[in-house]
Amino acid sequence: MNPFHFDGLIWHWPIAIYLFLAGVSAGAICFAVLLKQFKLGEDAYKSGFVQAACLISPLAVFAGLGILVIDLTKPFDFWKILVFYNPRSVMSVGVAVLLIYQVALFAWLACVFKEPVLTWCQGRWSVVDKGFKALMKYEATITGLLVLLALSLGAYTGFLLSALRTYPMLNNPVLPLLFLISGISSGAAATLLGGVLLKGNPDGKEVHFIHNIEIPIILLELVLLFTFFAGLILSGGQSQVAALTAIGEGFWGWVFWGGVVVMGLSMPLALNLFMKASSKRKFSYVAMTASFSLVGVLLLRNFILYTGQMTIA
Amino acid sequence: MSNSRRLFLKGACVAAVGASGFTLVRAKEAGKNTSKPVYKYALVHDETKCIGCDACSIACREVNQVPEGVSRLEIKREGPFGEYPNQYFRFTRHSCQQCESTPCVDVCPTGAAYKDPDTGIVSVDEWKCVGCQYCIAACPYQIRFINPITKAADKCDFCKDTRLKEGKKPACVSACPTKALTFGDITDPDSQIVKVLKSAPSYRSKLDLGTRPKVFRIASQGGEVKL
Repeated sequence: MNPFHFDGLIWHWPIAIYLFLAGVSAGAICFAVLLKQFKLGEDAYKSGFVQAACLISPLAVFAGLGILVIDLTKPFDFWKILVFYNPRSVMSVGVAVLLIYQVALFAWLACVFKEPVLTWCQGRWSVVDKGFKALMKYEATITGLLVLLALSLGAYTGFLLSALRTYPMLNNPVLPLLFLISGISSGAAATLLGGVLLKGNPDGKEVHFIHNIEIPIILLELVLLFTFFAGLILSGGQSQVAALTAIGEGFWGWVFWGGVVVMGLSMPLALNLFMKASSKRKFSYVAMTASFSLVGVLLLRNFILYTGQMTIA
Repeated sequence: MSNSRRLFLKGACVAAVGASGFTLVRAKEAGKNTSKPVYKYALVHDETKCIGCDACSIACREVNQVPEGVSRLEIKREGPFGEYPNQYFRFTRHSCQQCESTPCVDVCPTGAAYKDPDTGIVSVDEWKCVGCQYCIAACPYQIRFINPITKAADKCDFCKDTRLKEGKKPACVSACPTKALTFGDITDPDSQIVKVLKSAPSYRSKLDLGTRPKVFRIASQGGEVKL
């Protein structure tokens, strides 16, 4: 069986990239919110890591949606998804979540970068001042909503696949949680990588803060992966066949064990623990662990998407 | 501060419960058919009579203008089984199963995939379809495809917009030389299809998935017995 072309394959790698980017966007903005709320306060916009997360989050979600629209067989009819809704369809609910998420995202970005924007405007346009004043009144609400919507978006990418009864491996209740958690870890990695690239201090309090959250998240991800496959194997029937096909021998088996488990999860975990002991965190360490994490999550999305479609109920 | 946080959490919880409750209730309502369909069309494929001549699939292609490279109806051939001169094939019909509980309709974001309320026939609104292919992935029978001309999802609709409109039977049923296909309304106890279904034991594909397909099959005597 060719790993990229087989009977029953409907959704190809563009969908995996979209699932990845939506997760990165949701995860990155969660870390931007956390950094602002718990570490940096009003000065958050000065931090390279917050700047990186605030750049990555909207760009990732736009790029993901762009890929999604191009992947439609009728790309110019994409607006029909925005006009017609089917409450039973996970995709329809997800479109609504994505729409509100983007509004909340930009409202929150405006709150964070209020000072530099207003300085740049220098009171030239009174409308801008008034707009910001009105927006700031609701900052707490916007922040809370944004986190809720980001978590919904992260889980939605999993629900999108778990709604498919055709494929016993995807039709799995653990999948949305697994995607949410791995999405958050990819957001952390993207924030770290972007932050150090934007001249953030690799030994700064932001890095310490994110790494402290990253370790339990990687452990949780390992537990969820184990639960995911143990659940499939213990269910028997086609679910068992699907699980064993996926993580057994062959191309995707290598991707899973080598790419996802070793490179994407074990290596960042080991490097994180190792760095704790070392006195100084350096650019190369932070960039390397983050890159491993990111590639690992991207591989996980492709692995789940492709192997999920290999076995039919 | 702590007061406003608590207020926000309360509000968020109410909003979350409200939104998810609303979605679930709407989904439940959408699942119910408020008006009972007038007909429930179904099809029987008698595999004991089928000779695999493909007259049905050719007629389907012609009547429904199905382009080359894709098909709404295929006859799958298994075999030959047995020793010469007593050899035989087994033929199974590969087409839309016209599920009563429809995975494709459930996942369609725009409502382009729908179940016709009057006939119970699962159909596609070409115009509304954006081609996300969610329905193709959701169909456990893997019979949906993207029509290369319209770029919309396509599949068998019992000739709803062609032959049924003219008051005739679906093209495949009329074309079958051995009368292996019977089409009709299963809510009518005097119909031919109900008589056929009562005369012989039939089976349906992948019943364990709960899709309740309306294509019934009368199993051929031959073929492998598989575990």
